[in-house]
Amino acid sequence: MKEKIRIFLETDLLEKYLLENTTNEESLQVERYIAMYPEVKAEYDALQDNLEAFAKMHGVKTPDGLKEKITARIRGEKTGRKKFLRYAVAASISACLFAAASYFFYNENQDLQQKNTIVSNQIKDLKQDMKAQLEDVRNQFIVLQNPKTKRYTVKGNKKAKELKAVAYINPVKKLSYINVSKLPNLPEDQCFQMWAEVNGKMVNLGVIKEAGSENNLMALPYGENAMSYITIEPQGGNKTPTIENIVANISY
Amino acid sequence: MDASSCFFSNLIYVMSTLLEKHIVELLQERNEKAISLLYENYGDTLYGVALKVVRNEELAQDVLQESFVKIWKKSDSYDVSKAKLFTWLFRITRNTAIDKLRSVNTKTNKEIQINVSDVYTLGVESTKPDLIDVRENLEKIEEKYQIVLDALFFQGMTQQEASDELDIPLGTIKSRLKIGLRELKKIYDPAVIAIALLLSNLF
Repeated sequence: MKEKIRIFLETDLLEKYLLENTTNEESLQVERYIAMYPEVKAEYDALQDNLEAFAKMHGVKTPDGLKEKITARIRGEKTGRKKFLRYAVAASISACLFAAASYFFYNENQDLQQKNTIVSNQIKDLKQDMKAQLEDVRNQFIVLQNPKTKRYTVKGNKKAKELKAVAYINPVKKLSYINVSKLPNLPEDQCFQMWAEVNGKMVNLGVIKEAGSENNLMALPYGENAMSYITIEPQGGNKTPTIENIVANISY
Repeated sequence: MDASSCFFSNLIYVMSTLLEKHIVELLQERNEKAISLLYENYGDTLYGVALKVVRNEELAQDVLQESFVKIWKKSDSYDVSKAKLFTWLFRITRNTAIDKLRSVNTKTNKEIQINVSDVYTLGVESTKPDLIDVRENLEKIEEKYQIVLDALFFQGMTQQEASDELDIPLGTIKSRLKIGLRELKKIYDPAVIAIALLLSNLF
């Protein structure tokens, strides 16, 4: 054991540690030796005393005014700390405000984005609508002007004698329209509904709202040997036509 | 050592320990008075340390200022069980001085020249009168021992580095250090200083 201590003291680890020139690992080693071996502790204490003595011998009178400079700086540090605290508080408050503002604007932005999507969807729908309507008008025009268009007069059967309609069928352009010009009055809980049978499939063309003007053309799906029916159905329309309530049919 | 010098040596020891304890307490309470007491008791010594490293009065003053600010800021990190107060103060001052020297040297792009022989003389010109006795005593230590002590304590060289730098074999460094420290102890013996102080007060 003595040998170990002797070897340790032979190295200049203790001197290096005294001046803080050791690595962390070395420091830990030195501190362990100091704590464990009184001989090492005594040597370290002696070195510290020697250092102090040697340094004191080289003491030099400090210039006048330096002490005041130093105490002023220390005081500055203190107020600096207070200032720092004040800045810290201010910074925290502004950070909170910023966070709140960010949250608010984030929400606002989300909201606006949503609105924007809605508006752009509406515009898209409108465009499609307009396109469809334009197409419809164009087709109507074609049908009505085309010399190949056949004109059929449709009349109601016994159940709706007053019903009058004109169907326009163009086999070349494969377009067909119907213009219901007159409808008999119905009880409030009933309505007229239009159907077409195309290639064996019954297609619901919707409720005829009112017998309107000449311009009120309703498109019919085109098909070879198709049939269209007008039926009386409960108010709001039906999913399938009520066969016994057929009031008119058009075959084309 | 006779009974009276033993008494004085103990008294000095007790007093300096009490002062150290008091300063440490003040530091930990973050009381500004600590800095004032530190300056009064260690200012000259630490200024000497700074001067030894930077060898320029203006720089040394900067170093001392920065060191005291560090001492003030780091006061909670001082661990009594690891080092005496002076050792801690010395480390901070010396490291600050070395950093200062490095930054100045990188600025001026000059090499650090460790010229040990002129280090010792610089302090002597401005040594304060109170220290003259000690300085005289210091002269009692032969220069060859002083150089070794200086290289190890102030330049912070390892024994190997001192051996390389001073071109003295490692074994000689070791023996000179040993003798130097023994001589130092003789001079610094608190009893001797106590008597010297007592005498200087009487006359």
